[in-house]
Amino acid sequence: MINGLNKSTDAMAGGLTFHRRRHAVLAGNVANADTPGYRPLELERSPVANLDLSLERTSGLHQDSLGSVDAGDAETFYDDEGAEPGLDGNTVSVDRELAKVDANRVRYTATSRIISKRMAALRYAATDGAG
Amino acid sequence: MDFFTSMEVSASGLAAERTRMNMASSNMANANTTRGADGGAYKRKSVALESVDVMRGPALQFDNVFEGTAKGVRVAAIEEDQAPPRLEYDPGHPDSDINGYVAFPNVNVVEEMVDMITASRAYEAGVTALGTAVSMAERATEIGG
Repeated sequence: MINGLNKSTDAMAGGLTFHRRRHAVLAGNVANADTPGYRPLELERSPVANLDLSLERTSGLHQDSLGSVDAGDAETFYDDEGAEPGLDGNTVSVDRELAKVDANRVRYTATSRIISKRMAALRYAATDGAG
Repeated sequence: MDFFTSMEVSASGLAAERTRMNMASSNMANANTTRGADGGAYKRKSVALESVDVMRGPALQFDNVFEGTAKGVRVAAIEEDQAPPRLEYDPGHPDSDINGYVAFPNVNVVEEMVDMITASRAYEAGVTALGTAVSMAERATEIGG
């Protein structure tokens, strides 16, 4: 039981880490809105990171599915497809970046709320329904 | 990397935009200065920005490689515009030359206004990103509460 809780909270903590890093990347795009030649960066979790976490290992020979939730499985790339660079070669769209910043914040907040709920559930169980 | 990295990135952007704002103000204030630093007409100053890694030293070594991709910005140089001065015929002006022409700064006030407004908008965007980092960090402190 404890393992199950840890597994999902670990996965969600990895999500928090990812969103925190993504925010830094997006903030960098906003900061460089006027830097000549700058191209906006984007951080994306690779599909491996979304593996189903509910897999249970019934044999020691089975592959551990937990290793894939680490936020290290993210990659950066330039995200300015279709953008028309100005005379200075900069392709940052501040509105677009701010929209991403906001969406990223919502995801971060949602994930952290879920973790809090998990903790609350554990506390409730640990205090025999009194907490 | 923690939230302070994000904040440092945003702060570098704010500082750069503030410098641009200062330069635009300086250029506008000196739009008619005929005795600049080198004795001649004031020359328009412009800010050259460049992106930099904010992750330095141990933080970069011990963290994952891709973390270095969050780019800050810094003022690489403040350069004088070498465009020729604007010549106006005004023989009564104390700095008029022998033909009665005065060399006024190569400053276009409309251009400076446009620069100032773009700097101001970029600054506001930076403040928003900074505020978001703060609210996310605060949210993180409430986990489990």
